Amino acid sequence: MHSILEVRDLSVSYGEARVLFDVALSMQPGEIVACVGRNGAGKTTLLKSIAGFLKPLAGSVVGANASLVGLKPYEVARLGIKYVPQDKKVFSDLTVRENLELGSYTSRDYDWDRVTAYFPKLKPLMERKAGHLSGGERQMLMIGRALLGSPKVLLVDEPAEGLAPSIVAHLKDVFGELSKNTALVLVEQNLPLVCAIASKVYALKEGRIVAELADRESIKPDVCERYL
Amino acid sequence: MMNAIRWWWGLLLAFSLLAASWAFLPLPFVNEVVIFSIYTMGCSFLLGRVGFISFGQPAYLAAGAYGTAFYLFYFGTDPYVGILIGILSGLAVSGIVGPLFVRLRSDYFALVNLALAVIFYYLMQKVLADITKGDNGLWFLTRMSSTPVLDISTPSHFFVFAFLVALAVWAFYKYLDDSIFGACCLATKINEDKLEFLGYSNYSVRLLAFIIANTTTALAGAMYAVYLGFVSPEITSPHRAPDPVVVTILGGTGTLYGPLVGAFAYTGMKDVISKLIGNWELFIGFLLVFIMLAGEKGIWGTLQPRLEKLFSGRKDRTAAGDGAEARR
Repeated sequence: MHSILEVRDLSVSYGEARVLFDVALSMQPGEIVACVGRNGAGKTTLLKSIAGFLKPLAGSVVGANASLVGLKPYEVARLGIKYVPQDKKVFSDLTVRENLELGSYTSRDYDWDRVTAYFPKLKPLMERKAGHLSGGERQMLMIGRALLGSPKVLLVDEPAEGLAPSIVAHLKDVFGELSKNTALVLVEQNLPLVCAIASKVYALKEGRIVAELADRESIKPDVCERYL
Repeated sequence: MMNAIRWWWGLLLAFSLLAASWAFLPLPFVNEVVIFSIYTMGCSFLLGRVGFISFGQPAYLAAGAYGTAFYLFYFGTDPYVGILIGILSGLAVSGIVGPLFVRLRSDYFALVNLALAVIFYYLMQKVLADITKGDNGLWFLTRMSSTPVLDISTPSHFFVFAFLVALAVWAFYKYLDDSIFGACCLATKINEDKLEFLGYSNYSVRLLAFIIANTTTALAGAMYAVYLGFVSPEITSPHRAPDPVVVTILGGTGTLYGPLVGAFAYTGMKDVISKLIGNWELFIGFLLVFIMLAGEKGIWGTLQPRLEKLFSGRKDRTAAGDGAEARR
């Protein structure tokens, strides 16, 4: 089976400071892959490099049958590889509807019913300014917006950070459902969430992959924690 | 439907007031207000929607004005054709410099545009003096031919024309604001990275916004040229560069009525105060500082929430009254 995303020997630096060292990962369509690690391990840098926001020093990134190195973020997004950043900053001056319209226009996908089926809470909030949403609602909007156009790969950065347990549980169900059609890369520190849904876990430490857990038996919070 | 009514209600009220002002105020004043409001709309869109502050608007104004003036002075007599050429000149200039300028950050963008205004000023005043007649300018008021239906070579007909153009420009910007493109412009101002993650090119969004805004400015320049029948390098003078920015902020940045309100207030202040006080520029400077400190959202930005509150309060009372009536 072809990989939907394949990262090989990826090295990235911020100026003089090297952040990633020869990172490699691969995933199949419909798989949920998680990257875990402490703050500063290089998890977000990895996602940003795949999304085209950072130019790697060396290595290759192949996604959706195309080389992603050197592509601009909007070109990567148009290939069906969407990034949901960590900071939950939506376009605050735009309404929920306008935020979704922005997601729809480039992908020509106006099937918002699919988004509201995953996140029913968004339905009555369509005319509300996104800046007035709660943290959980913002996260739903950001994931919902990225879902438009049926992306091949969704790169989600710390989706559970700062959210109430009930919303995290809801996200877990949504990710499980989503993975039937979309491959997911989750960067997350919430180990119970990761271990409940991921089929493969990469542990990152100081910019290097120190472990790859690929069987369900070994994907457990206490096992993951050993590598952090 | 209700949205459409609300939409047109505001538009009709604003422009009815402007039309009514024709009856009470001197024609040169209202003509100046209408053209200045078109001039400011481009700047307001750039600043309010895209987050670009430009101190080079006189350059694009001059592109439109000189495009029109060259045609009417050297080649033809039809002012409509002159205005069309002015618009195309603005489109050409912004199409040439835009791809370079929109790559810059907002502060450098402001300065490079100011530099362009300085370049235009010296081009028109010195380098191209044989064609532009230097400081003497190009005079073509008497060369313009009369036009059928609306003879825009006369000031009163020109006002009707300028009024209709302003209305069309305003409606166009209202349409842009409500479109996906308007949302993209605002999104690039709020967070350019996130817009890229959704599959949009920031560069393309900014370039298109830049070209639209500065072509609007060139339209205002072309209209100044036809209205005055004269163009000199003074139109692109760098010391006039802050005018549209000041009027944008004075009216209310990024608001649709702001350019109209700001142009009215600024032109009015200049007109009234210059008749009363010798060093009126100094006085206006202090007055502007005071107005902007008192309400940093500008005149319309400050008034709008109050008016909305007033009208929604009245609507609520009416609804409550209707309810009480129904209960009775």
